[in-house]
Amino acid sequence: MVFLILSGFVSAEEIGKKDSLESGRKFNIAIYPVENLSATPAPLMEIKQAFVERLKKQGFHVLNEEDLEKFMAKHRIRYIGGIDRGIAKAFKEEIGIDGVLITSLELYSGMNPPKIALISRLVSTGASPFILWIDNVGLAGDDSPGILGLGLIEDPKALVEKAMKSMAGSLISYLSTRTDERIDRDLKSKFQPKIAYKSPALGPDGKYVVAVLPFLNRSERKYAGEILVLHFIRQLKRFNHFDIIDPGILRQELLGLRVIMEDGVSLANADAIFAILDADIIVSGRVMDYQDHQGIWGKPKVDFSTVLIERKSRQVVWGSNSYNEGDDGVFFFDRGRVNTAHAMASQMVQWIGEKILRDPKRVEGAKGSRGQVK
Amino acid sequence: MGIIRIGSLLLRTSIFLALVLLMACATPSGDTYIDQNMDFGAIKTVGVMSFANLTRDTVVSERVRDVFINSLLSTGAVYVLPTGEIARGVARAEVQNPTALSGEEVVKLGGIIKVQAIITGVVREYGEVRSGTTSANIISLSLQMIETQTGKIVWTASTTKGGISILDRLFGGGGQPMNVITEKAVNDLINKLFK
Repeated sequence: MVFLILSGFVSAEEIGKKDSLESGRKFNIAIYPVENLSATPAPLMEIKQAFVERLKKQGFHVLNEEDLEKFMAKHRIRYIGGIDRGIAKAFKEEIGIDGVLITSLELYSGMNPPKIALISRLVSTGASPFILWIDNVGLAGDDSPGILGLGLIEDPKALVEKAMKSMAGSLISYLSTRTDERIDRDLKSKFQPKIAYKSPALGPDGKYVVAVLPFLNRSERKYAGEILVLHFIRQLKRFNHFDIIDPGILRQELLGLRVIMEDGVSLANADAIFAILDADIIVSGRVMDYQDHQGIWGKPKVDFSTVLIERKSRQVVWGSNSYNEGDDGVFFFDRGRVNTAHAMASQMVQWIGEKILRDPKRVEGAKGSRGQVK
Repeated sequence: MGIIRIGSLLLRTSIFLALVLLMACATPSGDTYIDQNMDFGAIKTVGVMSFANLTRDTVVSERVRDVFINSLLSTGAVYVLPTGEIARGVARAEVQNPTALSGEEVVKLGGIIKVQAIITGVVREYGEVRSGTTSANIISLSLQMIETQTGKIVWTASTTKGGISILDRLFGGGGQPMNVITEKAVNDLINKLFK
């Protein structure tokens, strides 16, 4: 009897899975060309093709290249780092696309050990586009050398393959189950912000619509400001408390408002952004260092400051400085060493999300101060 | 007996003279000025201007300013305006040199951005110093607070952190990382402000 009931449950579960898989397969996807933020030559076509092949293999409907090119030419789409409202609507109404996959390549190095880092997101189409899924991967050939170096990956193609397997797997899993992976519990404390201020106005129970503005780039790395924006979107999306406005929509509105931010966002600019996007929080900041190294020697370095401005109070509700190097806290045999700036930035930004939502009112700062928000 | 007395008197006189000379060599104590008539409790919001940069590295002043702003905010004692708002105020007040403001400019700027005080600063040294074969990081920073009602300087302080210590000379090591000594310098200045 018990066996019969249990088997009934299993089959119900399987049917549910099958249904969601079927509905996922009905989801029409357009895959944008890969945005190259690595500022180096990279196999962009191969990365895109890897997504196309894996999705098609699983039975998903992917818009073919010819139709995509025609659509992009018709709407004069040159920016491939996001989609604005008009384009999203056209995708839905004209060619019946449900989601657009946007991939940004952060790092590619073919030199031994090879390195790759990318962030992909699936944005819905229609009148009000939003981010359905986002994931990232950052790998270096010497991340897990293992005994006698047996775990080393020396072939860049093999590393790209490994990265694409992870990303496509995550996307397929989302499309099949429509559930997103959440908090990474394996956060290393060394990546916490070194100085942080949190206003009591930022509560753990709040739900915020967040606009992440491009960070001012004072580093030598090209596109470091845009890269950090993607990290913030990726990491804040892990928490249920943040609805992130897609950078494509934000870009369109900023261009429309003719906002120029020479030294950060002013309150007048913030008011305009809050009003037009109906956002609750603006995230902005400054990148001082975003370094990756090529080859064996060297270490990655990330240094940035973050500011959150809240709509109601028109005040800074969070301010922090984060900096880390790849060998922080590494003493023996490179154990715990991080080989890409991407991997460090991911954890550093996730810590900011953790501190904003989970930390009580306590703040860290000047040692002589009370260290407590009034 | 008389010779002993004369000797003792000479010794005392020479000790006294040596002390007077030593005191004459001494500089006035501390590197901090605080206006005793100023009510610092009335300062609720401050603006931190771009720091003047006397070093070779062009982004140093922004780096130190960011650390200072967040450290000051984290004390919970005062609110610091976002840097973008300061930039807007500087443009509206038509300030010629935001790193060195005149009294009139401070009053005008204060009225626009609605702050009770403005903090300006100078980064005098930032980076690596060498002595023989030894090297270490150093930062030297001065700040001043100007009241926006009168345009008067109400607080100034300076600090130097890092540099080559005796241990560095003996054992090497290269001193502490730049970010760590920057935090130390900023904390030192904030402690002087809240003293």
